[in-house]
Amino acid sequence: MSSAYSSTLTLAAGAVLICAVVVLWVTSTRSMLIVVATQGTALGCVAMTLGVHVGDAGLIATAAVELAVKGLAIPVLIDRAAGGALDRERRPLVNVPASLVASAALIVLAFTAARGVATFVGATSGALVPVGVATLLVGFLVLVSRRRPIFQMVGLLLVDNGIALVAFLCTAGVPFLIEVGVSLDVLLAVVVLMVLAQRLRSEFGDLDLDELRELHD
Amino acid sequence: MVLDMILALPLLGGAGFVAWRNQAAGWIAVAVNGVALALGVWVAIRAVGNAPLSGAEGLLRADALSAFMVVVIGTIALLASWIGVRTMAVEVAGGRCTPRRATTYGVLVQAFVAAMLLAVLAANVGVLWVAVEATTIITVFLVGHRRTRGALEASWKYLVICSVGIALAFFGTVLVYLCALHAGGHSASALDWTSLMARARHLDPSVLRLGFALIVLGYGTKVGLVPLHSWLPDAHSQAPAPVSALMSGVLLTVAFYAILRFKAVTDAALGPGFSRTLLVVVALASLAVAASLLLTQRDYKRMLAYHSIEHMGLIALGAAAGIPLAIAGVLLHIFGHGLAKSVLFLTSGEIMAAEGTSRIDGVHALLARRPTLGGVFGIGLVALLGLPPFSLFSSELLMARAEFQAGLGWAAVVALVAMVVIFVAVVGHARHMLLGAPSTPETLAPPPAWVATPLVMGLIACGLIGIFAWPLSGLLEAAAHVVTP
Amino acid sequence: MTSAWPAPSVVAVSVLQVLGVVVGGPLLVGLMRKVRCRLEGRVGPPVHQPLLDLRKLARRERTRPDRASWIFSVVPVVLVATTLVIALVAPLLSTDPAFGWSADLFALIYLMLIGSVVLALGALDTGTAFGGMGASRAMTIGALSEPALLVAVLALSIPAHSSNVPTIVARSLAHPAWLATPQRLLSLVAFLIVIVAESGRLPVDNPSTHLELTMIHEAMILEYAGADLALIKLGESMRLIVLLALFADLFVPWGIATAPGVGHVVVGVVAIGAKVAALGVALAAFEVAVAKLRLFRVPELLAGAFVLAVLAVISALVVP
Repeated sequence: MSSAYSSTLTLAAGAVLICAVVVLWVTSTRSMLIVVATQGTALGCVAMTLGVHVGDAGLIATAAVELAVKGLAIPVLIDRAAGGALDRERRPLVNVPASLVASAALIVLAFTAARGVATFVGATSGALVPVGVATLLVGFLVLVSRRRPIFQMVGLLLVDNGIALVAFLCTAGVPFLIEVGVSLDVLLAVVVLMVLAQRLRSEFGDLDLDELRELHD
Repeated sequence: MVLDMILALPLLGGAGFVAWRNQAAGWIAVAVNGVALALGVWVAIRAVGNAPLSGAEGLLRADALSAFMVVVIGTIALLASWIGVRTMAVEVAGGRCTPRRATTYGVLVQAFVAAMLLAVLAANVGVLWVAVEATTIITVFLVGHRRTRGALEASWKYLVICSVGIALAFFGTVLVYLCALHAGGHSASALDWTSLMARARHLDPSVLRLGFALIVLGYGTKVGLVPLHSWLPDAHSQAPAPVSALMSGVLLTVAFYAILRFKAVTDAALGPGFSRTLLVVVALASLAVAASLLLTQRDYKRMLAYHSIEHMGLIALGAAAGIPLAIAGVLLHIFGHGLAKSVLFLTSGEIMAAEGTSRIDGVHALLARRPTLGGVFGIGLVALLGLPPFSLFSSELLMARAEFQAGLGWAAVVALVAMVVIFVAVVGHARHMLLGAPSTPETLAPPPAWVATPLVMGLIACGLIGIFAWPLSGLLEAAAHVVTP
Repeated sequence: MTSAWPAPSVVAVSVLQVLGVVVGGPLLVGLMRKVRCRLEGRVGPPVHQPLLDLRKLARRERTRPDRASWIFSVVPVVLVATTLVIALVAPLLSTDPAFGWSADLFALIYLMLIGSVVLALGALDTGTAFGGMGASRAMTIGALSEPALLVAVLALSIPAHSSNVPTIVARSLAHPAWLATPQRLLSLVAFLIVIVAESGRLPVDNPSTHLELTMIHEAMILEYAGADLALIKLGESMRLIVLLALFADLFVPWGIATAPGVGHVVVGVVAIGAKVAALGVALAAFEVAVAKLRLFRVPELLAGAFVLAVLAVISALVVP
């Protein structure tokens, strides 16, 4: 039982990180959305596994919220923002092979940096804390190296998912009320970003974000 | 009960905009914000020397520090919603904004005020986080209100950078929660402010250190501290003037309030050394960035925005000193800066509406051509630069004294150098805008008295609390003791 | 562990491995070609056609470019020799081949690498434009695929506490649960991508192309003729079958002979033959399905393999 628990947890947490790496790999919006949805689902599975293991109804409810928000609602919303347009990341600031190799470095960094927290938490979930940190760092990489609005949104989501993963693993989730608030905030942030992305498109046409040069010193 | 009402009132004002959809709704919002301020003052008076109030089944809690922040938010909100009536009227009349968008604007501003109030009244640091994140989301639309290219760019940058920052703050909060659980906290209440303080001595030092660093970095983004400050000048310069006033005058310090709270926990667990080092570094870096960018500024709204970064740096430095005297200075500075900065932003909105440009070299001889606006702007700058008799002078003095007492004299001297540079830069820009002879003899209508009055009142208030600290001194002392050992 | 087996039978198994690789390599190439043709709706040459080609080539005159040095002539020999060594020591039929103690995974990979490097050296030696271009492309790919392969192998050797291939295979047979661990799956994918890149197959390189500009591998051997070309072709097909067989044994070890006896060895031969043939068919079908990737997507694929391999190592280290 406990071995099944730890392998499910490992698998789901690993899937979260692999999805983050795959986001660096893909260039088309469509395939990226599938990856984002997969990641959200994997994150929900982490929460669900923990919830079932601990037998905490609040955590299971949280998992359901995560699954609904991150596995379903957010990918659908981003899809709407893309507007069916064939939006590709054509010229990322850091090319794909370099960012993949950089992500490998970031992953190693995360595992070194988060060792303290990992041992502090202990057990299987503690050992997986660096996975969340690595996801967070890869999210940063996406944020700074991609220039399409949609990809930056996804970078933000990766950062958020990484932190959510750490929160689940460290503390079996923050209290339910706060978790709902957090999920709602994330959802709203995505909605707002979506609206902004649409306005950007109608105002500037097809653009890369680093072409925004109106404001500078 | 009172706390619930303080939170509900701004929302009620927001509902007023939906119900009436005309200028009357604006005045209703001003009225409810005024009532909220009055309630806040009552809470503040009661909070000195009494047990903290609580509300909403323990979710809300008002000690002296919270009460003080409520008063600050209430004051600035009153000012901003008052001028907001004028701003929207001008925009709708000028065809730059539809009545529908004016309604949205009104609702969002009231929601923004409510979110800030929730942030300072939350008993739980998790709820605090949710509220601060909510302010980001609400203000994005306000920043992008004008829908120009610049406004769009600013709101995108603002949302992305602040979301990242606030996500880091959440990470930090989770780590603090982890420590609290390991120190025996119950999961539902472990993030409560009182429970955190009670267990502070048993929190794991290494994890807490990481958590606090993330919190300073994360909430520091919203405060506008280096390194994640780059959104601030864009957002503050693109937002409508009342929103800039609220964002610059109080939102920054609401985020700083979060840092202050966590700093108290961290200091109790680790001693003051760690948080001091961290805050001194970000404070001096922010001062340096603000000074260097103010020198070359060509836009007066951006100039004000960079000036906010400078003041946040000063506040962070004051907080680094950490002794009660320093915290009292910090809080007084928060109030004084809020008043002066919001008056300046509101005035700059009037100037921009009248002159049609936000470039410094596009504005000449304001004192001669528009004596009221120019006068308020000039006196506001004097207040902001920390000259007597305004309260920023007293608070800067207080903080400097405390820094010397706490062994941070060197940092105070470095800050002073940066302030001198900023002084020279701002005076240079202001001279260009304010002085000189008008090139064309034009007759211009001064702003109506109902617009000028709140601006002047704001400056007078800023001067009064500088000269007579007595109505505040008890509150400041009590608030400072909340976050100092 | 070798004491129970009489030495002659061990040697016999190894000789069988070498023979199987030498004959099986060209047959595998023929099989894959046949599958491709069938999938594309053509009849295609018989499966043993590559063997006939080799015989034909071996009778032809060898030619050498004027400017080529001795390196050019030793390339085919070194290529075949390194692969023969791998075929001799690697556990292809049984977990206890002769000289199995020397079958270190890293050693095997470096033997492969020697083959790749001499090929590139030979191509550079001719001094022709296409040779240089092919060599530089091959080295670009190698620079990414070699680290990926090494790290993927590291992930395999961590749980087995050994980098000796026969030991790894034997231990993973003893612990079938290892095969489903995340690090296994990750390194499997990384390994697979690298195999496709290293063996010069699609989607990285198209071995049947005749357009020099799109060539990677074929561009390097344009100048070879006669017996030299026969050796190179043989060496390449041997490399392919060895890689596939190693892959099969590392990730799907069932069927390999773990004990002495003719019965076990026969089962081993059938098993490895079936596995390699299945992999070859799958690879061929994949080639038909996937168009050649544009050259600048290739590094992405390999960098991805590298990241997966790093993840595999980390999960091997962290997850008990």
